[in-house]
Amino acid sequence: MASGLAAASLSASQSAGASGNVITVGTLYANTGSFATSSMPEYAGLQFWVKQVNAAGGMYVAPLKKKEHVQLVSYNDQSDPATATTLYNQLLTQNKVNVFVADFGSVLTAPAVTIAKDQKHLLFDITGSGTSFFSSGPNPYVALTSLPVSAVWPKPVVGLLSSLKIKRVAILYCQNDFDQAQAAAIKGFLASEHLQPVYFQGVPTTQSDYSTIVQAIKGANPQAVLEFGYPNNDIAFLNQLKSTNTHFNFVLTPFPGQLPTLFSQDVGAKALAWEYTYAVPPIMRVNKVNLGLGLNAFLQKFAPGKESTVNFLNVAGYNAGLAVQAAFAHATSMSQLGIRAGLTAVSGKLQTLEGTFALNKAGAQVGELLPVAQMVPHGAGFQFKIVYPATAAQKAMVNGTPKYPAPRA
Amino acid sequence: MPELESLEDVTTPPGTGASPARHAAARWFGRIAPLVVVGAVLGAGPSLYNNLAFLTTLAIYILLAQGVNIVYGFTGYLPFGFVGFFGAGIYGSSLAIVYWHVGGYAAIALGALTSVVAALILSPLLRLSGAYFALATLAASQALYFIVANESWTFGESGMSLPLLFSPTALYVISVVAVVVALIVVLYVRDSHFGLSLRAIRSDAVSAAMAGVNVVRTRTIAWLVSAALAGVAGALWALMTSAFYAETPFDLTISVYAIVFALFGGVRTAVGPVVGTVVLYSLYQYIGISNPQYFELIYGLLIVVLVLFLPGGLTSLVGGRGDRPAWWNRLVRRRAAPEVAP
Repeated sequence: MASGLAAASLSASQSAGASGNVITVGTLYANTGSFATSSMPEYAGLQFWVKQVNAAGGMYVAPLKKKEHVQLVSYNDQSDPATATTLYNQLLTQNKVNVFVADFGSVLTAPAVTIAKDQKHLLFDITGSGTSFFSSGPNPYVALTSLPVSAVWPKPVVGLLSSLKIKRVAILYCQNDFDQAQAAAIKGFLASEHLQPVYFQGVPTTQSDYSTIVQAIKGANPQAVLEFGYPNNDIAFLNQLKSTNTHFNFVLTPFPGQLPTLFSQDVGAKALAWEYTYAVPPIMRVNKVNLGLGLNAFLQKFAPGKESTVNFLNVAGYNAGLAVQAAFAHATSMSQLGIRAGLTAVSGKLQTLEGTFALNKAGAQVGELLPVAQMVPHGAGFQFKIVYPATAAQKAMVNGTPKYPAPRA
Repeated sequence: MPELESLEDVTTPPGTGASPARHAAARWFGRIAPLVVVGAVLGAGPSLYNNLAFLTTLAIYILLAQGVNIVYGFTGYLPFGFVGFFGAGIYGSSLAIVYWHVGGYAAIALGALTSVVAALILSPLLRLSGAYFALATLAASQALYFIVANESWTFGESGMSLPLLFSPTALYVISVVAVVVALIVVLYVRDSHFGLSLRAIRSDAVSAAMAGVNVVRTRTIAWLVSAALAGVAGALWALMTSAFYAETPFDLTISVYAIVFALFGGVRTAVGPVVGTVVLYSLYQYIGISNPQYFELIYGLLIVVLVLFLPGGLTSLVGGRGDRPAWWNRLVRRRAAPEVAP
């Protein structure tokens, strides 16, 4: 069986090297299990990048002073972190990939972070924004490519609340790293203004019944309600606002901006009306780039005629590829630290369709900040209007003013 | 109840006519051979397939399957929530590293101890039996998960991040040593009076009690030993993975795999769970690499076929006639037939 395993991995290596000199990029995807709906669009974005690069004759590799084709070596981890551990290791020890890219989210990225640090191999982390990955000091082997670390996300929300002179804030969050970090950041801001949230409650990430919680929040009489959860939590919360006929003047949830089609289907346009969310690409359109495609060009090439089906995770997968491309284009050597030096060289200067790519010393993404959007009724559906920027450079993207208090739908 | 008559009845084949010295030698060979073979096979693992994460995970699953073997194979209690002890071991060792800055070996010991404490707390569940026991352990493991996942002092919300205390090679060597120690424990359980008592309880607890077996104490010891093995497995997993969220250590598929691996190899034997884990987990990895699109189909079909045709596990093919599946006995008889036919 062991020889069979070695043979299976050897065949993968051979196919990777079949086209001659190539740069091999290893990755995992989940085509089954709880992360499949998020992992597969991200993987499709990464595959699209490989296709684009190879169609252009390869990517420039600075230490070799020439272009090389890219070969993607990938395995299905089935949304299982234990399987992901052995498969990430497979990519490094058997396929000997040049660099590797993590699967979606913090849970499936966690095993890769360990292996990257342990084996000193450069990991491009697409969406694993857990603060614990980046809290143990400088780390040259992990680079977060597509999302800022969780605690940075609510920065523009804080600005928006302040501009609307909102002082009574209710915060409901799921007890996981991603959501708790955002809740804590907002609470910290309120404390600096000598304010306390009128409601501050954590619930398990598995929470699906919010009916009692909604009434408790209503009893606290908040001016704004911020619910930080994963997609299923956001959907359940918004649906129970609707079913209990509860109206708040300001409601923000993180995921409708990332998965608008899913939220339209599961919550409905009426219940989403005037709700706030983070504006990720393609809501946020960055077309002035110095590497890869701008957002509009990406939409046209990625899904010709079906641009509306493209979501943020497609963009995130493509953007991770661009980070790989930039790293090799500015690498000082073919060693892992040499490739990482390439990323350091472009940090703060690289402009992609997600905005400014900037890493701190721990490898956390501190550029690519997300503005706040409001969902404005439009015909039978809704459209996103960016109402508050995260940076001065994003001011040009603002195309609406916040409607506060939100009208009853 | 022939098992209760004497230990010799179990360890000495009746009517062999061999001398006591040869019996003793055969018994020792039967005990040492599995240790040597398993140690040698796992020791040679990295030279055959140099993916140490896979090999260490394989060793961890062997420990879990041996834990299931002790609690299910020898006592008949099927612990669907066995993953709870695994998770307790993971968090016991991890929290000891984070708060007390203990070394790797102490962390492994504390992981085992945490699982044993959890097993002691849950020992009243042994009053239940059958499906009620299986469901109660399942509920207990989920309760443990929710406690860990929702407390800040367990890093359930932010995720656990540990320093790397062992190199991958060192951790694999420790895992192999743990597997060999677990094998010695199972061999002891199989061949000792204690194991005999367990089998008596499994056959009929009331009769065993009337024959002088302390049913509660014997069962509880087996329960604690199996929890300790799961705790060691958990500690090794924590040291290998080092960054994880609570949902991973308490994932119910870990229980399912441990049970399936043990049953596939054959419970109530020392090497059955080892064989079952090596074959099925290697196959799991092989299919995952070579044919990921057919993974669920192939793996699922294989398990169904094996459970239907090999209910006693792989080792039943080489066991006593009564243990072998009927189709295998028929096959063997048919092959032998021409030699005895006139």
